[in-house]
Amino acid sequence: MKVEVRNINQVSVIDCTGDVDLYSSTTLRETLLNLMRSGIPNVLVNMADVTYIDSSGIATLVEGLQLSRQTKTHFGLYALRRNAKSVLALARLDKVFAIFSSEQEALEKIPTTLPFGGL
Amino acid sequence: MLAPLWAEGRSGSDSKRMKIVISSHPRLLHILRGVVTYRAQHAGFTPADVDSMTVAISEAAANVIRHAYKDRHDGFLALEILTLPDRMEFILEDSAPKVQPEAIRSRPLDEIRPGGLGTFFMNSYMDKCTFDEHFAKGNRLIMVKYLRGKASTNDESRSTKH
Repeated sequence: MKVEVRNINQVSVIDCTGDVDLYSSTTLRETLLNLMRSGIPNVLVNMADVTYIDSSGIATLVEGLQLSRQTKTHFGLYALRRNAKSVLALARLDKVFAIFSSEQEALEKIPTTLPFGGL
Repeated sequence: MLAPLWAEGRSGSDSKRMKIVISSHPRLLHILRGVVTYRAQHAGFTPADVDSMTVAISEAAANVIRHAYKDRHDGFLALEILTLPDRMEFILEDSAPKVQPEAIRSRPLDEIRPGGLGTFFMNSYMDKCTFDEHFAKGNRLIMVKYLRGKASTNDESRSTKH
Protein backbone atom coordinates (compact mmCIF):
# COMPACT_ATOMS: atom_id res chain seq x y z
CA MET A 1 0.00 0.00 0.00
CA LYS A 2 1.15 3.51 -0.73
CA VAL A 3 0.13 6.60 1.25
CA GLU A 4 0.79 10.14 0.05
CA VAL A 5 -0.40 13.48 1.42
CA ARG A 6 -1.46 16.51 -0.63
CA ASN A 7 -2.35 19.86 0.84
CA ILE A 8 -5.07 21.88 -0.83
CA ASN A 9 -5.57 25.19 0.98
CA GLN A 10 -6.60 24.18 4.50
CA VAL A 11 -7.31 20.54 3.60
CA SER A 12 -4.89 17.63 3.81
CA VAL A 13 -5.78 14.82 1.43
CA ILE A 14 -4.39 11.34 2.11
CA ASP A 15 -4.17 9.41 -1.15
CA CYS A 16 -4.26 5.67 -0.35
CA THR A 17 -3.35 3.15 -3.02
CA GLY A 18 -3.65 -0.62 -2.70
CA ASP A 19 -4.90 -2.94 0.04
CA VAL A 20 -5.46 -1.65 3.57
CA ASP A 21 -5.22 -4.73 5.75
CA LEU A 22 -3.60 -6.11 8.88
CA TYR A 23 -0.17 -5.69 7.31
CA SER A 24 -0.48 -2.23 5.78
CA SER A 25 -2.98 -0.37 7.94
CA THR A 26 -0.24 0.81 10.30
CA THR A 27 1.11 3.02 7.52
CA LEU A 28 -2.24 4.74 7.09
CA ARG A 29 -2.68 4.95 10.86
CA GLU A 30 0.61 6.81 11.39
CA THR A 31 -0.12 9.28 8.61
CA LEU A 32 -3.71 9.87 9.65
CA LEU A 33 -3.08 10.33 13.35
CA ASN A 34 -0.02 12.53 12.79
CA LEU A 35 -2.05 14.81 10.53
CA MET A 36 -4.83 15.03 13.12
CA ARG A 37 -2.34 15.98 15.80
CA SER A 38 -0.61 18.55 13.58
CA GLY A 39 -3.44 21.02 13.89
CA ILE A 40 -4.55 20.91 10.25
CA PRO A 41 -8.28 21.77 10.30
CA ASN A 42 -9.49 19.38 7.59
CA VAL A 43 -8.39 15.84 6.71
CA LEU A 44 -9.75 13.76 3.85
CA VAL A 45 -8.91 10.18 2.90
CA ASN A 46 -9.07 9.52 -0.84
CA MET A 47 -10.27 5.91 -1.15
CA ALA A 48 -10.50 5.83 -4.95
CA ASP A 49 -7.51 3.50 -5.30
CA VAL A 50 -8.08 1.42 -2.17
CA THR A 51 -8.52 -2.01 -3.69
CA TYR A 52 -9.38 -3.76 -0.42
CA ILE A 53 -10.02 -2.77 3.18
CA ASP A 54 -10.51 -5.09 6.14
CA SER A 55 -11.40 -4.68 9.79
CA SER A 56 -7.88 -3.42 10.56
CA GLY A 57 -8.31 -0.65 8.02
CA ILE A 58 -11.76 0.17 9.34
CA ALA A 59 -10.34 0.27 12.87
CA THR A 60 -7.74 2.78 11.68
CA LEU A 61 -10.44 5.02 10.23
CA VAL A 62 -12.49 4.76 13.42
CA GLU A 63 -9.43 5.70 15.45
CA GLY A 64 -8.97 8.71 13.20
CA LEU A 65 -12.61 9.62 13.68
CA GLN A 66 -12.27 9.49 17.44
CA LEU A 67 -9.10 11.57 17.41
CA SER A 68 -10.71 14.10 15.06
CA ARG A 69 -13.30 14.79 17.72
CA GLN A 70 -10.59 15.52 20.27
CA THR A 71 -8.53 17.70 17.94
CA LYS A 72 -11.61 19.32 16.35
CA THR A 73 -10.50 18.28 12.91
CA HIS A 74 -13.06 17.97 10.13
CA PHE A 75 -12.60 14.42 8.83
CA GLY A 76 -14.07 12.69 5.83
CA LEU A 77 -13.67 9.93 3.24
CA TYR A 78 -14.40 10.03 -0.46
CA ALA A 79 -14.58 7.91 -3.62
CA LEU A 80 -15.16 4.61 -1.85
CA ARG A 81 -15.16 1.46 -3.95
CA ARG A 82 -17.67 -1.37 -3.60
CA ASN A 83 -15.66 -3.31 -1.01
CA ALA A 84 -15.21 -0.31 1.27
CA LYS A 85 -18.85 0.71 0.95
CA SER A 86 -19.94 -2.82 1.76
CA VAL A 87 -17.89 -3.28 4.92
CA LEU A 88 -18.69 0.20 6.24
CA ALA A 89 -22.40 -0.34 5.64
CA LEU A 90 -22.33 -3.79 7.23
CA ALA A 91 -20.63 -2.35 10.31
CA ARG A 92 -23.19 0.49 10.31
CA LEU A 93 -20.39 3.00 9.98
CA ASP A 94 -21.54 4.48 6.69
CA LYS A 95 -23.71 6.93 8.62
CA VAL A 96 -20.99 7.68 11.16
CA PHE A 97 -18.29 8.89 8.79
CA ALA A 98 -18.66 11.91 6.53
CA ILE A 99 -18.52 10.20 3.14
CA PHE A 100 -18.41 12.05 -0.17
CA SER A 101 -18.65 10.76 -3.69
CA SER A 102 -15.82 12.80 -5.19
CA GLU A 103 -12.86 14.98 -4.28
CA GLN A 104 -14.67 18.04 -5.55
CA GLU A 105 -17.66 17.40 -3.33
CA ALA A 106 -15.42 16.60 -0.37
CA LEU A 107 -13.38 19.77 -0.73
CA GLU A 108 -16.54 21.84 -0.97
CA LYS A 109 -18.31 20.29 2.00
CA ILE A 110 -15.63 19.15 4.45
CA PRO A 111 -15.12 22.54 6.15
CA THR A 112 -18.83 22.69 6.90
CA THR A 113 -19.19 19.12 8.09
CA LEU A 114 -20.49 19.14 11.66
CA PRO A 115 -20.05 17.93 14.23
CA PHE A 116 -16.36 17.13 13.95
CA GLY A 117 -15.59 13.78 12.43
CA GLY A 118 -18.92 13.18 10.79
CA LEU A 119 -22.19 12.51 12.59
CA MET B 1 11.11 -16.86 3.76
CA LEU B 2 7.71 -15.25 3.28
CA ALA B 3 6.64 -16.94 0.07
CA PRO B 4 3.82 -19.45 0.20
CA LEU B 5 5.10 -22.83 1.27
CA TRP B 6 3.07 -24.67 -1.29
CA ALA B 7 -0.18 -24.76 -3.17
CA GLU B 8 -1.79 -27.57 -5.09
CA GLY B 9 -4.82 -28.30 -7.18
CA ARG B 10 -5.72 -31.92 -7.51
CA SER B 11 -6.41 -33.37 -10.90
CA GLY B 12 -9.15 -35.60 -12.25
CA SER B 13 -12.48 -35.85 -10.50
CA ASP B 14 -11.12 -33.90 -7.54
CA SER B 15 -10.15 -30.84 -9.56
CA LYS B 16 -12.54 -28.65 -7.57
CA ARG B 17 -10.33 -28.95 -4.51
CA MET B 18 -7.17 -27.02 -3.79
CA LYS B 19 -5.02 -26.21 -0.81
CA ILE B 20 -2.67 -23.33 -0.18
CA VAL B 21 -0.29 -23.02 2.74
CA ILE B 22 1.37 -19.77 3.82
CA SER B 23 3.45 -18.75 6.77
CA SER B 24 1.71 -16.71 9.45
CA HIS B 25 2.83 -13.32 8.20
CA PRO B 26 0.21 -10.67 7.43
CA ARG B 27 2.19 -9.66 4.36
CA LEU B 28 0.93 -12.88 2.76
CA LEU B 29 -2.78 -12.35 3.35
CA HIS B 30 -3.18 -10.85 -0.10
CA ILE B 31 -2.19 -14.21 -1.58
CA LEU B 32 -5.07 -15.94 0.16
CA ARG B 33 -7.40 -13.18 -1.00
CA GLY B 34 -6.26 -13.56 -4.58
CA VAL B 35 -6.86 -17.30 -4.56
CA VAL B 36 -10.28 -16.99 -2.90
CA THR B 37 -11.35 -14.28 -5.33
CA TYR B 38 -10.24 -16.31 -8.35
CA ARG B 39 -11.90 -19.52 -7.23
CA ALA B 40 -15.15 -17.80 -6.20
CA GLN B 41 -15.39 -15.94 -9.50
CA HIS B 42 -14.98 -19.18 -11.41
CA ALA B 43 -17.56 -20.90 -9.19
CA GLY B 44 -20.20 -18.44 -10.39
CA PHE B 45 -20.65 -16.21 -7.38
CA THR B 46 -21.80 -12.63 -7.89
CA PRO B 47 -19.15 -9.90 -7.65
CA ALA B 48 -20.63 -8.78 -4.32
CA ASP B 49 -20.49 -12.31 -2.95
CA VAL B 50 -16.93 -12.72 -4.21
CA ASP B 51 -15.98 -9.57 -2.31
CA SER B 52 -17.76 -10.79 0.80
CA MET B 53 -16.13 -14.22 0.78
CA THR B 54 -12.73 -12.68 0.21
CA VAL B 55 -13.18 -10.40 3.22
CA ALA B 56 -14.42 -13.28 5.38
CA ILE B 57 -11.52 -15.59 4.60
CA SER B 58 -8.95 -12.82 4.96
CA GLU B 59 -10.44 -11.82 8.31
CA ALA B 60 -10.35 -15.42 9.49
CA ALA B 61 -6.68 -15.71 8.52
CA ALA B 62 -5.87 -12.36 10.13
CA ASN B 63 -7.57 -13.56 13.32
CA VAL B 64 -5.36 -16.65 13.32
CA ILE B 65 -2.22 -14.50 13.00
CA ARG B 66 -3.28 -12.02 15.67
CA HIS B 67 -5.12 -14.12 18.20
CA ALA B 68 -3.89 -17.69 17.74
CA TYR B 69 -0.27 -17.11 16.80
CA LYS B 70 -0.22 -13.79 18.71
CA ASP B 71 1.58 -12.09 15.81
CA ARG B 72 4.26 -14.76 15.56
CA HIS B 73 5.33 -15.22 11.96
CA ASP B 74 6.84 -18.69 12.20
CA GLY B 75 3.58 -20.60 12.12
CA PHE B 76 1.52 -21.66 9.12
CA LEU B 77 -1.98 -21.30 7.79
CA ALA B 78 -3.42 -23.92 5.47
CA LEU B 79 -6.51 -23.03 3.47
CA GLU B 80 -8.34 -25.79 1.66
CA ILE B 81 -10.98 -24.70 -0.84
CA LEU B 82 -13.68 -27.03 -2.13
CA THR B 83 -15.90 -25.95 -5.00
CA LEU B 84 -19.16 -27.89 -5.00
CA PRO B 85 -22.23 -27.54 -7.22
CA ASP B 86 -24.19 -25.52 -4.67
CA ARG B 87 -21.49 -24.00 -2.47
CA MET B 88 -17.88 -23.39 -1.64
CA GLU B 89 -16.28 -24.66 1.52
CA PHE B 90 -13.16 -23.16 3.08
CA ILE B 91 -11.21 -25.05 5.71
CA LEU B 92 -8.61 -22.98 7.51
CA GLU B 93 -6.13 -24.83 9.71
CA ASP B 94 -3.25 -23.72 11.88
CA SER B 95 -0.96 -25.24 14.49
CA ALA B 96 -1.37 -22.50 17.07
CA PRO B 97 -2.72 -23.03 20.59
CA LYS B 98 -6.47 -23.63 20.73
CA VAL B 99 -8.56 -20.49 20.52
CA GLN B 100 -11.87 -20.33 22.34
CA PRO B 101 -14.41 -18.95 19.86
CA GLU B 102 -15.98 -16.79 22.55
CA ALA B 103 -12.60 -15.09 23.07
CA ILE B 104 -12.82 -13.47 19.64
CA ARG B 105 -16.42 -12.36 19.88
CA SER B 106 -17.33 -9.27 17.87
CA ARG B 107 -18.21 -6.00 19.54
CA PRO B 108 -21.73 -4.54 19.59
CA LEU B 109 -22.14 -2.40 16.48
CA ASP B 110 -23.48 0.57 18.44
CA GLU B 111 -20.12 0.86 20.20
CA ILE B 112 -18.12 3.06 17.85
CA ARG B 113 -14.57 2.07 18.68
CA PRO B 114 -11.64 0.53 16.82
CA GLY B 115 -11.53 -3.24 16.51
CA GLY B 116 -13.87 -6.14 17.09
CA LEU B 117 -15.26 -6.35 13.57
CA GLY B 118 -13.30 -9.22 12.02
CA THR B 119 -15.43 -12.02 13.45
CA PHE B 120 -18.55 -10.02 12.69
CA PHE B 121 -17.58 -9.76 9.02
CA MET B 122 -16.85 -13.50 8.88
CA ASN B 123 -20.19 -14.44 10.35
CA SER B 124 -22.11 -11.92 8.33
CA TYR B 125 -20.60 -12.73 4.97
CA MET B 126 -20.49 -16.52 5.21
CA ASP B 127 -23.47 -18.85 5.56
CA LYS B 128 -21.70 -21.04 8.10
CA CYS B 129 -18.62 -20.57 10.27
CA THR B 130 -17.86 -23.51 12.53
CA PHE B 131 -14.84 -24.41 14.62
CA ASP B 132 -13.99 -28.11 14.49
CA GLU B 133 -13.69 -28.91 18.17
CA HIS B 134 -12.27 -32.34 17.40
CA PHE B 135 -9.28 -31.03 15.47
CA ALA B 136 -6.35 -32.36 17.43
CA LYS B 137 -3.50 -29.97 16.69
CA GLY B 138 -4.24 -26.28 16.42
CA ASN B 139 -7.46 -24.82 15.11
CA ARG B 140 -9.71 -25.74 12.20
CA LEU B 141 -12.37 -23.31 11.05
CA ILE B 142 -14.86 -24.43 8.42
CA MET B 143 -16.66 -21.73 6.45
CA VAL B 144 -19.36 -22.31 3.87
CA LYS B 145 -20.93 -20.03 1.29
CA TYR B 146 -23.86 -21.17 -0.83
CA LEU B 147 -24.56 -19.98 -4.32
CA ARG B 148 -27.62 -17.76 -4.23
CA GLY B 149 -30.79 -19.78 -4.39
CA LYS B 150 -29.01 -22.96 -3.39
CA ALA B 151 -28.72 -22.55 0.38
CA SER B 152 -29.22 -25.71 2.39
CA THR B 153 -32.60 -26.10 4.05
CA ASN B 154 -30.91 -28.20 6.69
CA ASP B 155 -28.99 -25.35 8.26
CA GLU B 156 -26.50 -26.41 10.88
CA SER B 157 -25.29 -24.55 13.90
CA ARG B 158 -22.98 -21.61 13.42
CA SER B 159 -20.74 -21.86 16.40
CA THR B 160 -19.03 -18.50 15.95
CA LYS B 161 -22.33 -16.64 15.46
CA HIS B 162 -23.32 -14.30 18.23
